[in-house]
Amino acid sequence: MIAAPEYSFSFWLTLSVLVIPLVASLSCFSIKQKIGWLAPLISSVLLLIASILAIVLFFQVSNSAEVSYSWVWFTLNQKEIAFSILLDSNTSIMILIVTVISFLVHLFSIGYMAEDQHQVRYFGMLGFFTFAMLGLVMSSNLLITFIFWELVGVSSYRLIAHYQEKESAIKAATKAFLLNKIGDLGFLIGLIIFWSWSGTLEIGDPNLLRIPAFWLTAAGVCIFIGVIGKSAQFPLFNWLPDAMEGPTPVSALIHAATMVAAGVFLLMRISNLFTEDVFMLIAITGSITTVAGAIGALFQFDIKKVLAYSTISQLGLMVMAMGAGAMQGGYFHLLHHAFFKAGLFLGAGAIIHAMHQNHQSNLDAQDIRNLGGLRKKLPVTFISFAICAAALAGIPFTSGFVSKELILTQMTTWAGNEISWRWIVMSSAWVVTLLTPIYTFRLIWFIFFSKPQHQHNVEEAPVIMRIPMIVLATGSLAILSSLSPIHISSAINLLQHSYPEINSKVSLASIVIIGIALAAAFYIFKNQEVKNQKLITPHFYLDVVSNYFMVLTLKLSEATKGGDKLIDSVIHGISYLQITFAHITGWADRYLVDGFVDGIAYSAKGVGAITRSLANGKIQSYLLWAMAGLVIFIVWILY
Amino acid sequence: MYLLSLLIFIPIGTALLALLIPSRLASSFRSIALGVSIVQVIILLLILSQYNYEGGFHLIEKIPWISIDLGSWGLLQAEYFVALDGLSLSMVALSVFILLIATISSWTIEKNRKGYFILLLILNGAIIGSFCALDFLLFYVFFEFMLLPMYFLIGIWGGVKREYASIKFFLYTLLGSILILIVIVALYISVKTPESSDRIVHTFNVLHMQDVNNLIPNSLLSLDSTKLLGSFSFRYWAFLLLFIGFIIKLPAVPFHTWLPDAHVEAPTPISVILAALLLKFGAYGLLRFAYPIFPDAAIHFSWFVGLIGLISIIYGALNALSSKDLKRLIAYSSVSHMGFVLLGIASATVEGITGAVYQMFSHGIISAMLFLIAGVLYDRTGDRMIGNYSGLASKMRNYSAFVLIAFFASMGLPGFAGFMGEVMIFFGAFQSSTVNGLIPTWMAITATLGLLLGAAYYLWTIQRMFYGPFSVKNVTSDLTDLDSREYIMLLPLALAALVFGVLPQLLLNYINPFASEFVNNLFQSGNVLTP
Repeated sequence: MIAAPEYSFSFWLTLSVLVIPLVASLSCFSIKQKIGWLAPLISSVLLLIASILAIVLFFQVSNSAEVSYSWVWFTLNQKEIAFSILLDSNTSIMILIVTVISFLVHLFSIGYMAEDQHQVRYFGMLGFFTFAMLGLVMSSNLLITFIFWELVGVSSYRLIAHYQEKESAIKAATKAFLLNKIGDLGFLIGLIIFWSWSGTLEIGDPNLLRIPAFWLTAAGVCIFIGVIGKSAQFPLFNWLPDAMEGPTPVSALIHAATMVAAGVFLLMRISNLFTEDVFMLIAITGSITTVAGAIGALFQFDIKKVLAYSTISQLGLMVMAMGAGAMQGGYFHLLHHAFFKAGLFLGAGAIIHAMHQNHQSNLDAQDIRNLGGLRKKLPVTFISFAICAAALAGIPFTSGFVSKELILTQMTTWAGNEISWRWIVMSSAWVVTLLTPIYTFRLIWFIFFSKPQHQHNVEEAPVIMRIPMIVLATGSLAILSSLSPIHISSAINLLQHSYPEINSKVSLASIVIIGIALAAAFYIFKNQEVKNQKLITPHFYLDVVSNYFMVLTLKLSEATKGGDKLIDSVIHGISYLQITFAHITGWADRYLVDGFVDGIAYSAKGVGAITRSLANGKIQSYLLWAMAGLVIFIVWILY
Repeated sequence: MYLLSLLIFIPIGTALLALLIPSRLASSFRSIALGVSIVQVIILLLILSQYNYEGGFHLIEKIPWISIDLGSWGLLQAEYFVALDGLSLSMVALSVFILLIATISSWTIEKNRKGYFILLLILNGAIIGSFCALDFLLFYVFFEFMLLPMYFLIGIWGGVKREYASIKFFLYTLLGSILILIVIVALYISVKTPESSDRIVHTFNVLHMQDVNNLIPNSLLSLDSTKLLGSFSFRYWAFLLLFIGFIIKLPAVPFHTWLPDAHVEAPTPISVILAALLLKFGAYGLLRFAYPIFPDAAIHFSWFVGLIGLISIIYGALNALSSKDLKRLIAYSSVSHMGFVLLGIASATVEGITGAVYQMFSHGIISAMLFLIAGVLYDRTGDRMIGNYSGLASKMRNYSAFVLIAFFASMGLPGFAGFMGEVMIFFGAFQSSTVNGLIPTWMAITATLGLLLGAAYYLWTIQRMFYGPFSVKNVTSDLTDLDSREYIMLLPLALAALVFGVLPQLLLNYINPFASEFVNNLFQSGNVLTP
């Protein structure tokens, strides 16, 4: 039975934070096209209010521990499904980050999308996404989580397809939605398993664990399939690079900071439901993804695609951390990643924006080979981009270093001293520690340092776009999460976790590796002719597989079409048979039955002719026949 | 207060009166039809205010109808017996709502308005009558009464190949009706009223038929009957006949090929009624007649029923994917969605049955919306081929918004009614193997592929027709956005799809008692029957 919620201050606070973005979205959609310029203002102001409330909520929750609310949504088979909310320190900081980054992205979009024709739709969907994402974070009922999970997917679809006249954007949106849908089906089956065996979907309900071990593992695996889809893990990560067709601020918010991290967040939220086998699957999938993403990032020339592959790699790292006993590190990294990756994307957006402002030619502004030497022309963008990139690379004094440190430390403990499969998983974390600085350096070098191929007369982005970048870059500094640049143990204890003892060997090793990586990258890229670098498309042949499935499905659908033709031809055959039969019976009717009847008629006629001759109208002859009849009758009676 | 009778006979009576109005006054007929629909909405509201959420039947009206003494054969008895329970109430509410929308949608009909609207009114009464009837003979009369107006409405007001489509529709459904009629006769001679003591009183009362104690010993369909035909007893055969009779209506694969043709050729309002209401009789018949009357057979054949449901889901979705005609695509999506209903029924769990009824309701709303949307485009261009359009979103902004809503609602996006029904069906179908062991879990898991395919064919259609650069082939007329009449039709449907997706309890209040009673009765009598 679900207890009635207590309508306290933090309840109203939570509700407002959730509902304000929805209000922003609805008011955008209800604005007439003519006054479309109002949409960015309204939604940004509302999001600012939501962010302030989220900050209050965060402190409220960290003061008074957990907050939970529950409303019965509907009853099914006498069991209640509740719209329930659980706010602990992990949730409330995620809420804070989602609203703040969403607000910053709104702000940035005012400048970035200023000339767009469809601002109403853009800001409306952005608000709706924020609402759905907050719902996903707050919910502590798996069905509700799933519902918001799907809703963020739809808003992602709509925003990727924002430039809806562009063929590639629509295709990317469709692909993203379908690959996500595969994951979502996994999630749905997981839900179904939990419901069938335990009759509840409340995440905290102990009954969820009292189900047969096989089904517990199966449910865990299924839900993890959902995470694979949403958080772009192997083998469903191919949609994320394509999703870069959407507007750049959207990539920052949805495809870097929040939505794709939802899977990682979910893993943490329901980690108590996973069995050992599921954790193993999570760790291995994450390790494959993180290495594959880093390799992908090394070979891209599109600035957004480099960042997309880097996002895949970082998400893989987080997922691996979740599966490999480094849950705190993974979650910490999620929060940090949200800041520095959003900062990188906004920086990329500022660069693209600047290039578009000044180049009317068909120069591809996203190709880093066309950029170069922008350091002096876009100083603010450069500095903020560099800070965020340093955080991505895990350089000391940035937030990225702190959380990567924590992950490495915890994973080292997890891997143990004996050599096992865990060592392979752990080594992938080190490989990524090596690869990330290399591709990050490459990106920075090409954009800001290398000799430009073209003359750029670019100007810095307007203030409204610069502010979010500066805020995000500041947020990527280590000072915000840890007082000491390299010691996680002195982290500001916002999450009320207890942190493991710092392993100085791990710290030292990672600093050395990053140093080597940077030196190597400098050596590789310094003198390289960028144009000659060979392009490989690291889709890892996964597109081939998904295309193969698509072709197979279309062939199947042609087959079923043939099946319908077959059914119809059987039916037509039966009808023709029937018609033929009807013709035969018709013929028979006319010639046999009618013939028979006619025959009888003829014979009657013949008999009639005979009898008629008897009835010749003479009374004497009638009398004669009557007498004869009477005689016969009497004879018959007598004998 | 004979509310139900009023609901049924106001349209029929009006139709008869309207016959007297000369066809010169053509425009009066649509106002009359609209008036009737509005009166029906008011009556429906009165019914809802009187109905309480408890199980069982409400608003019962029972009047002797036919009573013939057959000498040694006993007494023939048929009643005018109408009532509502959770199942029929949700269907009646849906019907009233959809018929109102369909009447508004008929506003643009030009050809022989008198005939059209009179047939529409007869159809209206017959649909509601069949959902209320609890006497099998009465049901059958209403059921057949739907068939004929439908035949003419497609055959006269339809598209190019209307004759073929209407005769195909007619023959298919007639076949179904005959199968049902055979079982009605067999049931009639096997069931007596509980009141009949030494003198047997035969009855068509469905509630009597559902009680195994009313079976006449040693009759054709009695439990102890040892007569076999092939490998099945007569009871099993009777169930199969009813089952096939009703899944033709549903329609389920392989009895579905009348549906795409009928939809493609039918005028928009008739497509709406066909998809939203007439298809529901398939599932309604199973839930009201086939399952409760033959629970033993239903349990015996549930695996097979589930399989047909699963095949319909996948097969229908695949066919939708290969459709080049927008209306055909929507028609096949109906096959797929009704397959979910069949799967839910086959599971015979409370969740599954609740979900099946919910899905019937939500499909009624969403499919109506889909066909109206196809109609909007057809009205403007006379062309339904997906490949002939591109980038409509930039030209018809609001229309595309509604298309997006309808498509996402139909592919089962949470927040819309379709999702609720489907998720409950999945809950039921999956747990069937542990709760009652009727259908295996792989069926539920495979069925989720229907959702993936659903997303695929809808998104692909959006990609091809609505996004991309604007271009339209062979169209001369101007593509205008929605007019106010189209808003009046689409907006309430979109809102209904949303309301029943966000507040499922509104409908579950009615369905829950029905579903738990249904499952209880099924297994109580089912256990009596199968040792």
